[in-house]
Amino acid sequence: MRDGLLDPRAVLLHESAPDRDAAIRRCGRALVEVGAVAEPYIEAMLERERTISTYVGEGVAIPHGTNASKEDIKHDAICVVRFPGGVDWDGELVTLCVGIAARGDGHVPLLAAVAEILLDPDRARTLREATEVSRVLEELT
Amino acid sequence: MAHRTVVVASASGLHARPAKLFVQAAMRLGVPVKIRLGEKSVPARSMLGVLSLGAVRGTEVTLEADGPGAEEALDTLTALLSRDLDADEAPDA
Repeated sequence: MRDGLLDPRAVLLHESAPDRDAAIRRCGRALVEVGAVAEPYIEAMLERERTISTYVGEGVAIPHGTNASKEDIKHDAICVVRFPGGVDWDGELVTLCVGIAARGDGHVPLLAAVAEILLDPDRARTLREATEVSRVLEELT
Repeated sequence: MAHRTVVVASASGLHARPAKLFVQAAMRLGVPVKIRLGEKSVPARSMLGVLSLGAVRGTEVTLEADGPGAEEALDTLTALLSRDLDADEAPDA
């Protein structure tokens, strides 16, 4: 994965959320806080999720905005937000969110890179169970 | 091994909605199908696998399956990939 995509401040390992939308807002907030996206991107992430679930398996969801929200992206970034208590995601149990913001067509290779990492069950488990930010950075950069 | 080569027609490539529709269709089939891009081959039923291909519009992929029903399964998925699955939802591609 490219350097500089994951700001250590965007790695949140001990979050909890009552529902899917709250979890997505937490991810969006993390991207706002590191200066990667403008506030409206959060709503766009919720809108995208309502159109189609970003659950990808392995207890992981990869929320991201709509194409129309690309102008709200200041620079490409991901965030990693763990929900150890789990979040009900349309009937699936999500314990890890990888929030994604990428300009232009950059989201396709970025999603592919994230998917490639999660396809390895050991790496996916490491990320789901990580309690150290440094461990997540090691795995994703 | 039956196979078909097909060009991804969806505007946003094979991710998001098109990927989901493709994976859901593959799960409904009675035959396991693999989708290959270059050296990389993944189960068509795996969302992560399909996403990991990073196929954009115009990318040529190969679908492969074996056994009874393989031809029909490949025809179904080939038809799906040949359509622009984002077309009815352009703003949210």
